[in-house]
Amino acid sequence: MQQPPLIEIRNVGKTFPGVQALNGVSLTLRAGEVHAVIGENGAGKSTLMNMLAGELLPDTGSILVAGEDVRLSSPLKSKALGINVVFQELSLCHNLTVGENVMMQGLARTPGLGLISRSRASREATRLLTQLGLGDLDPTTPVHELTIAQMQLIEIARAISQDLRVLVLDEPNSALSPHETARMLQIIRALRADGVAIVYVSHNLDEVRSIADRITVLRDGQHVTTMDNDQSVTVDRLVSAMVGRDLAAVQQYALVAPAVEATRPVLAVHQLAVPGQIARMSFELYPGEILGVAGMPNSGKDSLSDALFGLIPRGGTVEIDGAPVPPENPGSAIASGMALIPADRRRGGALLLMSVAHNVVSASLAAFSVGGILRQGAIARTTNDYVDKLDIRISDVLQRIGTLSGGNQQKAILARGLVTKPKVLILHEPTRGIDVGAKEEIYAILAALASEGMAVMMISSELPEIVLHSSRVLVMERGRVAATFRGAEITEEAIMQAALGQLAVAAE
Amino acid sequence: MDEQMAVKAAAGGAPSRMRRFRLGREFGVFVALVVLCVALTLLNDRFLTPTNLLNIGRQVSLMGIMAVGMTFVLVSGEVDLSVGSTYGLCGIAVGVLLVAGYPLALAIAAGLVLGAGIGLINGVLSTYLRVPSLIATLGTLSMVRGAALILTDGKPVTVNARNGVGEADLAMFEFLGQGKVLGIPMQLAFFIVIALAGWFLLSRTSFGFRIFAVGGSAKAARVSGINVASVKIWALTLMGTLAALAGTLSLAFLPSGQAGRMGLGLELDVIAATIVGGTTLAGGEGTILGTVLGVLIIGVLRNGLVLTGVSPFAQEFLIGLVIVVAVAIDKWSTSSKSN
Repeated sequence: MQQPPLIEIRNVGKTFPGVQALNGVSLTLRAGEVHAVIGENGAGKSTLMNMLAGELLPDTGSILVAGEDVRLSSPLKSKALGINVVFQELSLCHNLTVGENVMMQGLARTPGLGLISRSRASREATRLLTQLGLGDLDPTTPVHELTIAQMQLIEIARAISQDLRVLVLDEPNSALSPHETARMLQIIRALRADGVAIVYVSHNLDEVRSIADRITVLRDGQHVTTMDNDQSVTVDRLVSAMVGRDLAAVQQYALVAPAVEATRPVLAVHQLAVPGQIARMSFELYPGEILGVAGMPNSGKDSLSDALFGLIPRGGTVEIDGAPVPPENPGSAIASGMALIPADRRRGGALLLMSVAHNVVSASLAAFSVGGILRQGAIARTTNDYVDKLDIRISDVLQRIGTLSGGNQQKAILARGLVTKPKVLILHEPTRGIDVGAKEEIYAILAALASEGMAVMMISSELPEIVLHSSRVLVMERGRVAATFRGAEITEEAIMQAALGQLAVAAE
Repeated sequence: MDEQMAVKAAAGGAPSRMRRFRLGREFGVFVALVVLCVALTLLNDRFLTPTNLLNIGRQVSLMGIMAVGMTFVLVSGEVDLSVGSTYGLCGIAVGVLLVAGYPLALAIAAGLVLGAGIGLINGVLSTYLRVPSLIATLGTLSMVRGAALILTDGKPVTVNARNGVGEADLAMFEFLGQGKVLGIPMQLAFFIVIALAGWFLLSRTSFGFRIFAVGGSAKAARVSGINVASVKIWALTLMGTLAALAGTLSLAFLPSGQAGRMGLGLELDVIAATIVGGTTLAGGEGTILGTVLGVLIIGVLRNGLVLTGVSPFAQEFLIGLVIVVAVAIDKWSTSSKSN
């Protein structure tokens, strides 16, 4: 069989400001195969899938469909070539019914007068749903009444409503129960038998082992290996391919001050709970340490900082120096000595319309006003101090923070936290969207703060960051503490295995 | 922005970071106002006279007092459609209380408290009860107007001696409406004082800071420990109080009012003037100086159209056109600047 592969990705590269997301990655997809793509966060999986979806164009390299060089410049173009991507964030219209969603591509562009035959659409939808084993689902049910698992299947039904040659599933199992996952895998096998090429992006290595024909591993935007999924493939082998060997990591680790656990903890968290995210989690944070918190996207780690800081409701107790921090009140969290550097500067971290100076003091207004009147001089002086101390590159303290680069924005937000004189500094994805140089500067600032006795907690999806810059690491899985590591135990492999639930739960 | 000047001056130690000179968006509004005034001066020799200018000042004052409040509300990311009704109800309530024999100070205080209460209700509805303020205040617009009609049974209220209002109170009330301080009509004097106070509050105090913060990004404001709901409630309460003050001054000027007509549709003028002055509906941006200029543009335009004999129908059309064009120019210039 010397016919060309269904899709051939040749040497594609993509650069975002400050980040090389993909660098010379090649991949082939054959008709009737399940091809798993795995890698850590930031390995380049999403970028690659977005290219197939027609959302992003490669900067370099090419994509061939059935031997022909194509430019997938829009999602419509990809769909026209039979490529369908089901993303983790589902894209159903919640106001419409199951049938309307399944038949959306047909309904949105009807020939002639644009009249819709609802009965025909409904019949066709029922046929597709039956094919997916969802025959009992009424096509007139509004989508918002479905479970996440059902929605995911509806997206697949929509994909197969058109001529489907390639189906990309991005983390399809993240919200599914074991039973639903089994059904999903069954559907995938059926599609494979029909000659569809399936790209399966997943963090669940056991599942990948059971379904994939071939497995491709990406790391740091580069292609590591593509292997046939045979007896020789083990979870261990996959994990080490994903994280790579990095001896420099161990050497750099020695630079970080060891945890000072002889002292009393400054932050004590007991039975912390957030419905659906965190299940009764307890831990302590000590002065002078940088506690890294790692975990997969659904491990609950992304709710941790919001829960501690009181941005979302929580159960359990949070204490700083023995005094309870009231829930759902960020103002008292700040007053208790907690500072939060949130993950998303664009969507809520920074006051984008306001100046750098105003952002720096926004969490300490009381200290910068007398009788409600702002002390402009003090605001400018403090801002200038931190601009110098953290080397924030700006032309003017009154420059809008939204006009700064990611790294400088993050430093200004860090200054906002430090101005409140915190005992506990919590950072969520501290270096996301920041160029390499600024990243290093932020790590240096954190190390300096810890050495001065600050208790620092760094919640991050980037394993290298966790490994290199934490003195202790806490790994979350399904809303619990799966393991804690310190010293030489901190390796990417160990963290990854704990995060994937591959480890017997380590006793605290 | 003036507060920027203040910080700039205070941060004189770091001149390298203080170089850039920026023209605020008020500058464009100011230029438009000057052009309008020059054109009207050339077209009509009655325009540029002290009497006419003071007349414009008086005519825009009540709208202007409310526009100051509206600037707080819009910058905080909310909107208040009920201000015309609040203006009507509170003005009439003061009249009803005076006619019923209550002393002037008490009547006015009750009117202001009533306005504050309506603003408070608007605030609680649009924060804790999560009814978007556009809808919450659309509801209170109708409810407050209805309350005024119920209170008066739809009949006009007139504050005069024949209705049994005491002589001293009547004189004082008349002074509030028709009097002058330093040659400035009372209403204009109120507008000037309130605009200055509003400017100070919005640009120089931590309350004003919080208004900008919650309107710019409620989430970021929360991360800064700011109580978003409370800030918005205060902004709407301030708005209600200022609407009540404007209504009271209006009644004092006339001195009568009818529940079905007083302040009808005024909310649209108030919002239009604020927006022409550069405040955005999306929140987080706006200044009192801009609002004052916006109010003056609308006032000068109205006055000029009357002086030049344009028909009232065409006046309505032209004012609407100016609002749309002003905002379009502003959006266009800011988007081309950021690109």
